[in-house]
Amino acid sequence: MKTIALYSIKGGVGKTAAAVNLSYLSSLLSQPTLICDLDPQGASSYYFRITASKKYNSDKFLKGNKKIYHNIKATDFENLDLLPSDFSYRNLDIELSEEKKPQKKLRKNLEELSEDYQYLFFDCPPNLTLLSESVFAASDLILVPLIPTTLSIRTYIQLKDFFEANKLDGSKIRPFFSMVEKQKKLHRDIILEFGNGPEFITQSIPYNSEVEKMGLYRAPLNAVLPNAPASKAYRNLWEELRSHLEKSG
Amino acid sequence: MRTSPKTVYLRLNPAVSTESLAESALFSGWQLKAYSSRKERREFYDTFEWQAFENEVAIVKKRRTLFLVDLKSGQETATLPFPAAPSSFYADALPTGILKAALSTLTDIRAFIRLCAIDTVITTYRILDDNEKSIAFLTSESLCLADREKQEPFVHLFSLSPLRGYDDEMDQMVTSLTNDDKIAKTLDFRELFLLIMKEAGVSVHGYSSKINLDLDPDAPVHESARQLLQFTFSVMRANEEGIKRNLDTEFLHDYRVAIRRTRSILKQLRSVFEPEETAYYLNLFKEIGTRTNELRDRDVSLLRQGSYFHNLPPCLQPSLKLFFSEIAVSRKKLHKQFCRYLASDACKSFLDEWEAFVHRQSAPDPEQCPNASLSTASVAVESIKKAWKRVIRHGRQVSEETTDSELHALRIDCKKLRYLLEFFSSIFPHKSVAPVLRQLKELQDNLGDFVDYSVQLHFLHERLTTLPLGKEANLLAASMGGLMAILFQKQEEARGTFHKTFEAFDHEKTAQLFHDLLTSKLK
Repeated sequence: MKTIALYSIKGGVGKTAAAVNLSYLSSLLSQPTLICDLDPQGASSYYFRITASKKYNSDKFLKGNKKIYHNIKATDFENLDLLPSDFSYRNLDIELSEEKKPQKKLRKNLEELSEDYQYLFFDCPPNLTLLSESVFAASDLILVPLIPTTLSIRTYIQLKDFFEANKLDGSKIRPFFSMVEKQKKLHRDIILEFGNGPEFITQSIPYNSEVEKMGLYRAPLNAVLPNAPASKAYRNLWEELRSHLEKSG
Repeated sequence: MRTSPKTVYLRLNPAVSTESLAESALFSGWQLKAYSSRKERREFYDTFEWQAFENEVAIVKKRRTLFLVDLKSGQETATLPFPAAPSSFYADALPTGILKAALSTLTDIRAFIRLCAIDTVITTYRILDDNEKSIAFLTSESLCLADREKQEPFVHLFSLSPLRGYDDEMDQMVTSLTNDDKIAKTLDFRELFLLIMKEAGVSVHGYSSKINLDLDPDAPVHESARQLLQFTFSVMRANEEGIKRNLDTEFLHDYRVAIRRTRSILKQLRSVFEPEETAYYLNLFKEIGTRTNELRDRDVSLLRQGSYFHNLPPCLQPSLKLFFSEIAVSRKKLHKQFCRYLASDACKSFLDEWEAFVHRQSAPDPEQCPNASLSTASVAVESIKKAWKRVIRHGRQVSEETTDSELHALRIDCKKLRYLLEFFSSIFPHKSVAPVLRQLKELQDNLGDFVDYSVQLHFLHERLTTLPLGKEANLLAASMGGLMAILFQKQEEARGTFHKTFEAFDHEKTAQLFHDLLTSKLK
């Protein structure tokens, strides 16, 4: 099982949209895929029209394996399941801090799923907390969507510094530009300045008003409008990621 | 959209319309959405003895695939690509895999025969919740018997398959549908299977070669004997079709056993039927039996192919192939001959006559048949006692050398005793018959092995003496020689253990068992 986190310290950068569409693209190749919604706002659960059962909460999530297993729900798409988030996830950090080895908790809790799924996507909440650290340890790849603006770049640098200071494996971090508006000079300049860095993914995601409409369709954009510019970009991005993951074994 | 393994079948109450099913299944805000519609043919297989059903599985072919289905849960536990639709097949002929392994454990000798085929029209709907999220599939199926001129559905079924994570919602739906059986009844796969078989006119468990009668110990023995003869005759009849269709070798085997049992009843229950008539039928059954001997020998040889090859070094194996293909050709010829005989007027009229005899109501003439009116119990006890004493007497007479003819004769004595015990087992308490049969079985196994090896040796030797000259024949002769050496060794082993086996049988304990049996309080 390959684990991919969609992560950013900053909110509103296109994490959920990327997690939803990339996981959908992964499932299209008959690869059992799970999307794990970690954000208490539950945006990706909402996009798939799924609500967690009443008995499900952060406690169960922290208990792991069997409890998680029973709460996974099928989406309307073949080979794509989702572990919905619950509003109680807002306390995950506090609860996690009471665990013995909080950084390793997530990886351990999802161990049993590796037999069932080939790809696991985390849709992460926008912050840098103990839960984020647990996600970093559990992920093979940390995808960071960046809007080509100075603030975005600043938070990205903060993230890299954090990895360095805490001696984490920074090679997992793979940024890509998101919500790109080519007509804006600032976007063009920033892409020119940073986009050639070796860790950067070549494919960027253009700003596309259709992405915002996913909240109306409540389905992946690639499932509803596969020919939209953003859909094409997600497709290319997934191909790039997949070949990278396959190469890295 | 992955469904949970849990699918529930529902049968609608006839007074209820399909619409009300939807109404009752759906909670407020939920809706149905058409998903797909298709036709499908399903073919069901099992052996003549229902070995799959006995082991709680069904074998179903659909969508060019063979499925093994658990009868209790309806879960498909193994699959295999299976494009053909044969009227029968052997597990042995399937490609290696889980399904083949599963079927091979059910039987290594019987063919799986197509029981029936049904055509279904399947319409699938998605059940959407108030978020318009699919939570389950509702499938409606109309089942018709295939290959019938009029295709009218005999049952209309619904099934609910929840998507992963929506079992709770489905449980609620099923509960509201099946509450007081108002709308629908749940149906497990086993019930569905039985429903299909009933509709197709296939009687499940319609056959067993085991004598399963309930004889009355006080009834005059001629009545009980006729009951037994009716049973053995029904076994013969039941196997005719399978012999003709050449489905597997067990049909002929059971047919022959039924003939032997018939003869045994007529022969061992003396003075129960008119002597002249008895002699007449005994002769005719002997004739039918004889006509099957060679065919059965070929069957046995072909069944043993595997072990023959296994016992030879690879360099001698190719010559055996030719040998077995010759056997197969001659078997085919003999099979044709026997089928012709079965279809002949002579055979038919004889069997009709016999049928009339076994169903004859009138009591036999008391002068000619002084034993006919004796009670079943007294005849059973006397004849078993006599047969048992004969086995003991003859067994004790077997010399140190244990000659072939001595063992052959004793085997027949044992068989007679065994048949009598089986014929009358229903009048004795089960717990006194079973240990006696167990004791006897050990002795019979030993003698059976011995005779079996000697028959095989004889068969190979006969063939050896007719081999032509030449290189191929030399190789074949060598392989036959190799086999004969092994068979001889095994035969000698069986001969060597005879006295010990017989001692165990001719023991106080066994005598006590027989004594208990014959003096037990009859049912």
